[in-house]
Amino acid sequence: MGHSDGEHQLEGDDLSADDASWSDGVWSEDDDEGSLSFEGSGSGSGSDADSDEAAAAAEESDSSEDEVAPRNTVGDVPLEWYKEEEHIGYDIDGRKIKKRDREGRIEAYLKNADDAKNWRKIYDEYNDEEVQITKEEAKIISRLLKGKTPHGNVDPYPDYVDWFEYEDKGHPLSSAPEPKRRFVPSKWEQKKVVKLVRAIRNGWIKFDKPKEENNLYLLWGDETDTAENKRHGLSYIPAPKPNLPGHEESYNPSVEFIPTQEEIDSYQLMYEEDRPKFIPKRFECLRSVPAYEKALREGFDRCLDLYLCPRTRKKRINIDPESLKPKLPSKKDLRPYPKTCYLEFKGHMGPVTSISVEITGQWLASGSCDGTIRVWEVETGRCVKVWNVGGDVRRIAWNPLPERPILAAIVGHDLLLINAEVGSEEVQMRAKELLKIDEMAPQDDTDGKKPAVRWMKHEKLDGITLIHHKAVSNVEWHFKGDYFTTVVPSGDTRAVLLHQLTKKHSHHPFRKLPGLPVAATFHPTQKMFFVATKKFVQVYDLQKAQLVKKLESGLREISSISIHPGGDNVIVGSKDGKLCWFDTDLSTRPYKALKIHSKDITNVTFHRKYPLFASSSEDCTAYVCHGMVYSDLNQNPLIVPLEILRGHSSSDGRGVLDCKFHPKQPWLFTAGADSVIRLYCD
Amino acid sequence: MPKHFRPAGKKKEGNAAKYITRTKAVNYLQVSLAIFRKLCILKGVFPRQPKKKVEGNHKTYYHMKDIAFLAHDPLIEKFRQIKVHRKKVKKAIAKKNRDLADRLLNRPPTYKLDRLVLERYPTFVDALRDLDDCLTMVHLFAALPAVDGERIEVKRIHNCRRLSHEWQAYISRTHALRKTFISVKGIYYQAEVQGQKITWLTPHALQQVLTDDVDFNVMLTFLEFYETLLGFVNFKLYHSINVNYPPILDPRLEALAAVLYSVPELYALCRYMSTGSGRAIGNSDSGGVNEKESGAIKENEDGNNKASAKTDESELRLAQLQHQLPSNEPGALMHLVEESTAVDTDDDETKECKSLFKNLKFYLSREVPRESLLFIIPAFGGTVSWEGEGAPFNEIDEDITHQIVDRPTQSHVFLSREYVQPQWVFDCVNARIILPTDGYLVGRVPPPHLSPFVDNDAEGYIPEYAETIKRLQAAARNEVLPLPGDEDLDNSLVAAMMDRTESNEAAEKKRKLEMLEKQYHDELKMEIDGVTFSNLSNKKPDKSQDTMDKDDAKSDHEDEKKQAEKDNDDISTALMSRRKRGLYKAMEIGRERKQDKVELLKKRKKNADSSASAKRR
Repeated sequence: MGHSDGEHQLEGDDLSADDASWSDGVWSEDDDEGSLSFEGSGSGSGSDADSDEAAAAAEESDSSEDEVAPRNTVGDVPLEWYKEEEHIGYDIDGRKIKKRDREGRIEAYLKNADDAKNWRKIYDEYNDEEVQITKEEAKIISRLLKGKTPHGNVDPYPDYVDWFEYEDKGHPLSSAPEPKRRFVPSKWEQKKVVKLVRAIRNGWIKFDKPKEENNLYLLWGDETDTAENKRHGLSYIPAPKPNLPGHEESYNPSVEFIPTQEEIDSYQLMYEEDRPKFIPKRFECLRSVPAYEKALREGFDRCLDLYLCPRTRKKRINIDPESLKPKLPSKKDLRPYPKTCYLEFKGHMGPVTSISVEITGQWLASGSCDGTIRVWEVETGRCVKVWNVGGDVRRIAWNPLPERPILAAIVGHDLLLINAEVGSEEVQMRAKELLKIDEMAPQDDTDGKKPAVRWMKHEKLDGITLIHHKAVSNVEWHFKGDYFTTVVPSGDTRAVLLHQLTKKHSHHPFRKLPGLPVAATFHPTQKMFFVATKKFVQVYDLQKAQLVKKLESGLREISSISIHPGGDNVIVGSKDGKLCWFDTDLSTRPYKALKIHSKDITNVTFHRKYPLFASSSEDCTAYVCHGMVYSDLNQNPLIVPLEILRGHSSSDGRGVLDCKFHPKQPWLFTAGADSVIRLYCD
Repeated sequence: MPKHFRPAGKKKEGNAAKYITRTKAVNYLQVSLAIFRKLCILKGVFPRQPKKKVEGNHKTYYHMKDIAFLAHDPLIEKFRQIKVHRKKVKKAIAKKNRDLADRLLNRPPTYKLDRLVLERYPTFVDALRDLDDCLTMVHLFAALPAVDGERIEVKRIHNCRRLSHEWQAYISRTHALRKTFISVKGIYYQAEVQGQKITWLTPHALQQVLTDDVDFNVMLTFLEFYETLLGFVNFKLYHSINVNYPPILDPRLEALAAVLYSVPELYALCRYMSTGSGRAIGNSDSGGVNEKESGAIKENEDGNNKASAKTDESELRLAQLQHQLPSNEPGALMHLVEESTAVDTDDDETKECKSLFKNLKFYLSREVPRESLLFIIPAFGGTVSWEGEGAPFNEIDEDITHQIVDRPTQSHVFLSREYVQPQWVFDCVNARIILPTDGYLVGRVPPPHLSPFVDNDAEGYIPEYAETIKRLQAAARNEVLPLPGDEDLDNSLVAAMMDRTESNEAAEKKRKLEMLEKQYHDELKMEIDGVTFSNLSNKKPDKSQDTMDKDDAKSDHEDEKKQAEKDNDDISTALMSRRKRGLYKAMEIGRERKQDKVELLKKRKKNADSSASAKRR
């Protein structure tokens, strides 16, 4: 099988002729094709030829294999095994096939350049030879590349030749006679036709297009209000009409309706829902107005609103806001009440923290941060007496008995009882007597604890000091003038103390309180006691020594409390500027809460005789309200705010620190942080 | 079983039973969502807001009765038929049964909405009350481009156009138009029909943009109902003025209308109505009904030397008139008809509107919005013609008093007429007087166009031009010369009288107010003084303090007044319940916001003025 190029080319012609002869049987029609395919078959040189032919014959017998067996017999092994060897394999006789010498590149190139048929040459690595493809083979390859059959003459779709003859063979498929139905008209068809005919006759099937009739007529007849003319079903809620356009929607609005560029830019900073939907624009003339690009969109939105928006009947409040204000009785009918400043008591050097009016209404005592207590004559505004007590006066209270001109004042963190030195000689003598105290040994040192209160003689001022274990915040007299109470907010179980003046005795009846006590006061007529903690007001029966009521204020922090002279109503001022009125017979919750002050309420007070109450606040105002309590239990108290009293100026962020009514006249005293006491009269 | 026990899934009570969510409603009706929507739109069923939203906050709720109302409607069955029909057609086409498909397509199931219209609007006034949206929508669709092959059929757009013109013709004919306003969005009109104020918007007569962010199914369903409604409303209205409906138009003009984008259609309609009403009267005359009235009309006609009173000839004569008049005597026909049908039931406003442009003759240039002006000018009693075919008179007519142009310069000028911009007509209509034309002349920037729908006094800000108009109105009312015609004389006299009494009253009021104010001031002073007085009389006088007080009072007088007012407010709000106080505050905020808006306008105005004056310098 091994053959060189030279041989091949030389022997090409006769070999092909030789091949043609025997390959005739296989390829009946095409000689040349056959000759082509076996071009290399008989190229075996010398001794190989016979065996080659025999092999070819053997192959040919079982298939149309037209290939010559390769001269190398190593089989399908990787050729790189022979890379290092000198031979490329073995021929059929077992002899080594030597590798050819490598041609130089120049040589190969020259050879190629000379040879016109070079493009047909392929190097066969297996056999280590160059093979030249014939023209026909090239044709086959190109056909294969095109996806056609290798040979042009093959007809892939030959006409089918039916070799069987059917006609006149005398073998019919069926010999049954023709059925009757072939000759009779179909019953079912007829039925269908009849149906159609009937349908057409009855007008069920129509072929022509229906005429466009005008179906407008007078829909609404006479306009009488009959039941027929009423809409049925649920109440109809008409959709709100679209907003009518304003000046700014005009094509030529006046200049003031057109926003400036800065304003338009500032719209970008707004929330999208706040942003104006429509930005006015000005056109010089009508012809320059363009079509509105959102016309269709807005129409569509309106449609959506009409059929998708839930509708309700909403009562639009179209009222004057003034009508919302409650109808109050006219202020004229509620006179007298203090409304204008009539006197100013000047003399203190620091904020006046507390004032108290003597029960007869003739004297006014005041305590200030400058460490003095002053007594004034109310009618003239003259300062009658000054005590220098050497410490902040927090609170001052006049004994409610006219024959006991004694002042209780909280100085520093202790209580001081002094003789006010007003009134007749006899009265003063009696007061001096009362304030006499023999220096006792420390009383109850037994339990090792510091005593809640020690009664001591005050040397300088000829009075009594009640030295408390902690700072005192509040003092209040009983209406009979013998007992008084002090509040020690941080005193835990000894926070509220009761003292008896005549016996010089103190005790602390309330062991447990709901929170820090703020103020305590006596019932004006009965043996009851009110303790205000930060959120609640506890009402105790002193005789039975038990809790009667607990008033829930709902305030953040109570600052002051006052009891109506009738005893059933309580007002409470708070540090968030709210004032609560409790009707203790009605409920333990506030009957009315007035948010009247913008800052802390410092004090609230009732008038003893007139239906008035007042509150003073850090916002430099005092409120005077009418608070009528009726003896008829069914009638609720009437509360009418009457007047805002101004005049005090703010100092150090504090305003009015105290307010007290005159016991007999409708006058109000206010003590300001600006060290002035003012008297407001009708 | 106790009453309160309810097995799961059984009947419910309260809001849970009364209201149903949309999904459930759709399931309940066994229709698709699209059909449900259509049903809701046509029947006018809308979601409602239950007191308690049982199924969740973000759902829409329908009243169960509404849904039952839908369920009982024959329309629902009709929609099913349509669905089935569509399936049949599809099947026939799929089976290549062209014959059957054609036959089916020829006769689709149809439905009428007249019953629904009557159901939703049992009386005519109800329909008029809800006509705003209807008119706006129909006018919008009338302006849409009629493109073949789009979702919107050309036929429907033509129908919309026809309906809108019929409506406008009626309004124009009965002089029911009250207010007009050119906005950026289009032109707003307000008419008063049977005491109902009807406002609608027509887009500018320009090519509208078809956007794809709208669902045309919904809009077309609405339009379907609105077309029917407006058809019936027009029928009723035309019937009320004795005109046949639907109108049969002059074929010549109709042909023109088709070519010239509907412009003379309105005119044709107007003419039809004029003649038609006459014809109808003639018919009623022959029928022997209303003999007295027609007799009166005949007399009128005799007075005008226009007609012989023979009933059988009336039709012919009117037809003749119709053809003959526009060419040589344009105003006459209108005039005649007006005279003949002068109904005494016209209220004062209608009379006023009718006579606004009474003796004026307008000519429209090519570039002005013809449709709206052809509608407005006759509605206020004017005569109008335009440049183009079918116009009743042309530009060289000597009687033309106003030519409406909208171009920078006018080349050829007739001295006998005034050349004004279209805004002049609109402003005249809103002011109800003939405004001076100085500001509106050709080439000038017209004065601002103000909305007639704004109550300036309530709004708190009166634009400058509104005040000018007010002054002009007052002047017109006072100085009006007694026109020929006793009615007008009476009117003017009455108006003058009214004016005088009004002014008297106003003056009196003012005086009273001043008095009160003075008194108040005096009282305030007296109060201050009075206190010191009592102080003086009762107690020991504190002279220095007193005088100081007085000084303070004088210097801080204003402050005190303000403070007193504020105190009064505070005092009265102190006793309000929290809810009321909230409401009060909200109202205050609203008031303040309004105030702010007015302040802003004033500020802008000031800036504009100052900048303008700076420029002038």
